[in-house]
Amino acid sequence: MTATAAEPGIRRWRQTLVDRPAVALSGVLLVLYAVTATQAPGLFTANGVRSTLLLACPLAILAASQTLCMLTGGIDLSTVMTANFAAYVAANQSGQGPLVALGLAFLVGAAVGTVNGLGVGVFKVNPLIMTLGMASVLLGVVTVGLVGDGFLSGSTRLLPVLRTVASGTLLGPIPNNMVVWALVAAGLIFGLSRTGLGRAIYAVGDNPIACRLAGIRIWQVLLAVYVVSALLAALGGLLFSGISGSVGPDQTNAYLLPSVAAAVIGGTSILGGVGGYTGTILGALILTVLNRLLLALDTTEAFRQILYGLIVLALAWVYVRITGQRGA
Amino acid sequence: MTATPQAEVHTPLPRPSSRLERFARRQGWVVGVAVLLAALVGWRASQIPAFGAFELRGIIAGTMTLALLAMAQTVIVVSGGIDLSVGAMMVLTNCIAARLMLDRGLGTVALVAVAVVVVAMVLSGLIGTVIVVSGVPDIVVTLAASFTLAGLALIVLDGPGGGTNLRFQELLVGDFDQPLPALAWLAGVFLAVWVPFKRSRLGIATYAVGSDRAAAFLSGLNVARSRVIAYVLGGFFSGMAGLVTTAFTGSGEPRASIGATATLTSVAAVVLGGVSLLGGSGTLLGPVLAAFCLALIAPLMLGLGWDPNYAEVARGVIIIVVVMVGGLLQIPRRLR
Repeated sequence: MTATAAEPGIRRWRQTLVDRPAVALSGVLLVLYAVTATQAPGLFTANGVRSTLLLACPLAILAASQTLCMLTGGIDLSTVMTANFAAYVAANQSGQGPLVALGLAFLVGAAVGTVNGLGVGVFKVNPLIMTLGMASVLLGVVTVGLVGDGFLSGSTRLLPVLRTVASGTLLGPIPNNMVVWALVAAGLIFGLSRTGLGRAIYAVGDNPIACRLAGIRIWQVLLAVYVVSALLAALGGLLFSGISGSVGPDQTNAYLLPSVAAAVIGGTSILGGVGGYTGTILGALILTVLNRLLLALDTTEAFRQILYGLIVLALAWVYVRITGQRGA
Repeated sequence: MTATPQAEVHTPLPRPSSRLERFARRQGWVVGVAVLLAALVGWRASQIPAFGAFELRGIIAGTMTLALLAMAQTVIVVSGGIDLSVGAMMVLTNCIAARLMLDRGLGTVALVAVAVVVVAMVLSGLIGTVIVVSGVPDIVVTLAASFTLAGLALIVLDGPGGGTNLRFQELLVGDFDQPLPALAWLAGVFLAVWVPFKRSRLGIATYAVGSDRAAAFLSGLNVARSRVIAYVLGGFFSGMAGLVTTAFTGSGEPRASIGATATLTSVAAVVLGGVSLLGGSGTLLGPVLAAFCLALIAPLMLGLGWDPNYAEVARGVIIIVVVMVGGLLQIPRRLR
């Protein structure tokens, strides 16, 4: 991986990797999967594949919202709190029927996204700060809602439909939530590459000044991105609650770093304009398998955390090295 | 370009701005935060009949950790980076200190304190070096580092525990009714570390690199070194924050969520303190004052008889509103 490698064969090989990061990432995923399977033989069975896909799904959906924001040069630190809040609302209102409960959950997402989008797009607040403040507000709202007879207190019962969608099995090793994931992935990949909004998202992330001069209404693009991002976050939270079978005010918080990391490993630049959802899918799968490997290694939680941080860093480093996509 | 005689062109000479104007432009935000802080302290004082040294000590010593973390974040943000691992660094140093200081004499404890700060500086410098060498964005590197540091903290202490020397606690954060030691340490760190640094070539280079990396490089500055030094100095402040936590709580606590919350609050304090996240501008005083403002919200709500859980909401709303207003204030300047 040294920069001195100038032989034409290696250069061509590297160029292929730069042009098609999905190839390299698939390779990493396969190797990692094989290595993990030696430690946890269950991975070679249909059930092993199923559990990997099942667990990767919420992460990949949260990473989708991160990917969208990063493509515009932003980041969404409020995704996990939005996910928690939406899942809680759905479980709390499940007595009203699935339509109302899910509708309210997505309404939460839409509201959060609108405020984020207006702050970032219209008031030109730095996305990091805007979504950080939003995360703080949401954490407070959930905490207050749970205390005493707050609006979130009372029984929480998971919607049966969520349980079915999030943890049922479609056929063989394919869990039901793959259907949702596939729909999201198809929508994002098609939308980003073939629609006007999708191209505008890349353009805004690449060069906002040029976009303004070209007549793109940047604030509308950003508003759309943050609303979709928050809706995806709500969806991720709902799916996670379906898998875990419960809701908690901080249950998806551990996904914040992985969701950013999945997008970065998948080749989306945090500076905007470069990347896409295909890479993020592979990034989410890689991180899920990595987690499985660390669990299989039978070490302490402390050691797992250290390794996780180091490996995420190493993957990002190698990726940046190969593609020459350096940070500012 | 010679002026033709028939067309009389009035080219207004740039007028040197007055001292007051310059002060208002440079320090206006900090003065605003200071006034806000004074108002909040006054409000809190009016809530408690016997407001005195005890409450003051509680406020100052209790917020010292956050103020130091805000300093750490400020230095790094000024240099054009961001560090999402300052909180985890604080937790790690807290755990190391609490483990090594348990049942020791003051001399040993002082040695441990110095060693812990050095460890924090080395680790933070290492993080900075990785950012500079790898080219991986700082947000990603420091997020990953926060995991690794939190894991290290769990290895040092696998649960709440450890301890420290009572005399050390009194020296660093003061006895229950002595606000002076904590205040003196904060002022001391500010005057003995930050002010000389800011005026030195290194400090000026830090601002230059944060303002425009390419221009700084073309001016012959060692950009990579300046960026790493900012992280080393940030590590010093984070390490101090860990020591203060040890002294204030008298124990170590390896819970990772403490670090995550502290990191986010430090970023909030930086922004409220008038430091641009784009780098290259801002002072250290603003974020420190802002940290005290943020810390006063919860006790104020308690004084009003509200559920202090609303403090989290209020904090978020204040961050968003202040930054939005700041953004609006910037608009006329942009149009000019």
